[in-house]
Amino acid sequence: MITKILHTLEALHIPVWAVEETVRESAEVFFIRKRLDLKRKTSTQDATVRLYRPMEKDGKAVLGTFTVPIHPGLSDEELYHTLEEAWSRTTVAWNPAYELYHGPKADLQPSASGFAKASLEENLRAAADTIFGADTREDAFLNTVEIFANRTVQRVLNSSGTDVSWETRGVQGEYVTQCLKPADVETYHAFRLRNPDWDTLRQEVEEALTQTVDRACATVPPKAGTYNVILSGDQVREVLSYYQSRAASHMVYQKYSTWSVGDKVQGENIEGDTLSITLTAADPYDSEGIPLRDRPLLENGVLRTIHGGARFAYYLGIEPTGSYSTMQVPCGTVPLAEMKQQPSLHVVSFSDFQMDDFTGHFGGEIRLAYLNDGETVRPVTGGSINGSILDAQKHLIFSQERYRSASYDGPLAVSIQGVAVAGAGE
Amino acid sequence: MKVPDSPWLQENKPFFQKLLAELLKQFPYASLLAQDGQQAGYSVNRRLTNLTAEGLFGDRGCVVKVSDGAHWTEYSFNCTGEDRLPAILEEIRAAAAMSAAVMPAHTTQPEYPIPQEEETVFSGSTDYEVDPLSVGDDVVLAKLTALRDTVLAKDERILDCAIRINWSKISKLFLSPKKDLTQNILWTEGSMVVMASRGEEVKTAYEPVSCLGGLEALDQMEGHIESVTRTALDLLQAEPITPGTYDCICTPPVTGMIVHEAFGHGVEMDMFVKKRALAEQYLGKPVASPLITMRDSASAAAQTGSYFFDDEGTMAKDTVIIKDGILQTGISDWQSAMVLGTEPTGNGRRQSFRRKAYTRMTNTWFEPGKDKVEDMIASIEHGFLLEQPSSGMEDPKNWGIQCMVDVAREIEHGKLTGRIYSPIVLTGYVPDLLKSISMVSEETVLSGSGMCGKGWKEWVKVSDGGPYIKAKIRLG
Repeated sequence: MITKILHTLEALHIPVWAVEETVRESAEVFFIRKRLDLKRKTSTQDATVRLYRPMEKDGKAVLGTFTVPIHPGLSDEELYHTLEEAWSRTTVAWNPAYELYHGPKADLQPSASGFAKASLEENLRAAADTIFGADTREDAFLNTVEIFANRTVQRVLNSSGTDVSWETRGVQGEYVTQCLKPADVETYHAFRLRNPDWDTLRQEVEEALTQTVDRACATVPPKAGTYNVILSGDQVREVLSYYQSRAASHMVYQKYSTWSVGDKVQGENIEGDTLSITLTAADPYDSEGIPLRDRPLLENGVLRTIHGGARFAYYLGIEPTGSYSTMQVPCGTVPLAEMKQQPSLHVVSFSDFQMDDFTGHFGGEIRLAYLNDGETVRPVTGGSINGSILDAQKHLIFSQERYRSASYDGPLAVSIQGVAVAGAGE
Repeated sequence: MKVPDSPWLQENKPFFQKLLAELLKQFPYASLLAQDGQQAGYSVNRRLTNLTAEGLFGDRGCVVKVSDGAHWTEYSFNCTGEDRLPAILEEIRAAAAMSAAVMPAHTTQPEYPIPQEEETVFSGSTDYEVDPLSVGDDVVLAKLTALRDTVLAKDERILDCAIRINWSKISKLFLSPKKDLTQNILWTEGSMVVMASRGEEVKTAYEPVSCLGGLEALDQMEGHIESVTRTALDLLQAEPITPGTYDCICTPPVTGMIVHEAFGHGVEMDMFVKKRALAEQYLGKPVASPLITMRDSASAAAQTGSYFFDDEGTMAKDTVIIKDGILQTGISDWQSAMVLGTEPTGNGRRQSFRRKAYTRMTNTWFEPGKDKVEDMIASIEHGFLLEQPSSGMEDPKNWGIQCMVDVAREIEHGKLTGRIYSPIVLTGYVPDLLKSISMVSEETVLSGSGMCGKGWKEWVKVSDGGPYIKAKIRLG
């Protein structure tokens, strides 16, 4: 498909363009309890072409753009007409001119994942064996399991010389755990693996089953008030996503963020742990073909990198870093067990925990939390937390223990003081 | 005017028919869903302008579903053509044969009977007023730009105004041994977002627009300028709320979020099959105030969740879920209905040909009541008017509510005080909230600018809404 697209771009004399092609195959299984309800396979090929028309408006250089999907199987004539029409539509939407990324020309980079050593079906089976292998309790069980094993090959080319391609492998999915007594409850869990780390997956399923039993014992929400809240696992990543989002070049260019390199973005007089965050390269390139390497985002609370693609980097006059989906954060010094010994509300499951990157507010409804009231620890459910990272960031305490997921490698838990909790007794 | 057929589906229909015929030589049952989408998205803000034909609904491809007489297999693909036929057939055979390779010990496969279908031939298209393809891109962008400039000129505290509008034309062809169905749907949706900053915080107000139709939706934008600008500026004075349970008036979009997230997901009957929905135990029982009647229908409302048949070839129906506070039934896809021994309600939907079908909502709403909004506000001694839903999450098993709204306007002694609180998390137990509804306004309004996920994936277009409702809600 790429060859036909390139010939057509040449025939139409289109000077500036970028093409992204994705070839994807997957094997999928859907279990209800221990029954395989449905099995699926997919095989797709997709391409997107972005066309750029250099123009001048009011004496300034601008770039008109239009993006069009190219479906596989188009005849030469259909492809010509599709790109010809797309080219004509580049005259209406323009922005300040910029240069596409001048990238490398490189051979296909095969996946370094352990999943590359096996077929999709074998990876699927290994994941299913692991998940169901953890389903050994009598008081809780797997209600539903969905597993997707994927292989993707992406290729990115542009008129500035970039031509890179890379393969990714992965297994992802979700499972719902259920407990019938003393109350019939469930909890939902998603997972995504870049490597076959089966021990971690099995441990997560076992913990999920334990949490579901605890949720069945939790009958009341915490009392309304202000708490020392402990968040753990993916919620820590979600809180820290605020800093990644605020440091994105598109946020800075549009003045949604006032940050610049060197700013003490965590504030002055930090009484808790200072933040250091590294953006890590999970893939060799981003979707513009920009080579990814680990970059410091924050060091001791100070912003070190404004990150993003070629366009906004050009506008801001900075280096294009590419787009990142993963981060690494050093662990703290306080064991989680020590955090939990203090009066606190350790929320281990939300219905949907969210960080608002624009306001800095975070919150969600509590599905399961452990309340230490200074005398006893008991599971609670219901109510919600509503906090602000702007208020909390000087007092963050990170755990000694590490947590790894497909998008995060850092402290397992964070303790946040003075978070408002809506619960019982209002 | 009627939305035209997809030339790609028409041209390739003989290939799809041949593929189906070949599959039926090897499998007792087979069906095929082919889709062809076309879309355009326009957006402007203070510094950027964008036009694209790329997006979730501009997709083109096929999914086949086969049964070996007991077990289901699907195969999704988008490279079609006569020359690909042998390879496609081989890949489907391989997919159907992979059970043994992927099933762990102690797992089994349920046996489903071969579906009994009625002979159905159907072709339908939705209506539109303004053809998106006949309105120039420059005209659309000029209109959005003018609206943006009007908002930006209103107050220097406004950081930005982002306006977008997207139209999507989606054509589908469903073929099975007894069905030959075609539909062409066009809907348009967009939003106006106004941002104002307070230090590091960027406060955001928005108003959605949507319609089953074309760019006539653009005309809805202008009417939102005053309210969305005022809300953004009001939010600069917003305070955190004192957590508590309050008398609340929900605006139609907030009612819609409660309808959809708090209750709608809980009556998706694939959850009944999995024993994941508490609602199954409440059929025929009171779950809401007697003032409440709730419906889901892809056919009885003209909005972004509308269609003629679902992605499993079941014709759309009009389902009364709650009648006068009593739970009547859920909504279901075809396979779930087969397991439960119920009638499918035409709610089997896929994100696209690439994904599995699940039970999904379409257009979902509470019916109107008899109260006037001003009487509802006047009835509150101390409480809040809730506006601008931002997100929600279902909990069908335990009926816990999580809904977030951006705006709570304080009401004291029956009047709005001008004080505003944000952000707000709504929590509680669904039946408690629904049974507490004591007043319902006279008009239902549906809105379809958002997307619905199942868990954290499987995005489909829906609409939801209702009247203003008065209820007791825990806010935090």
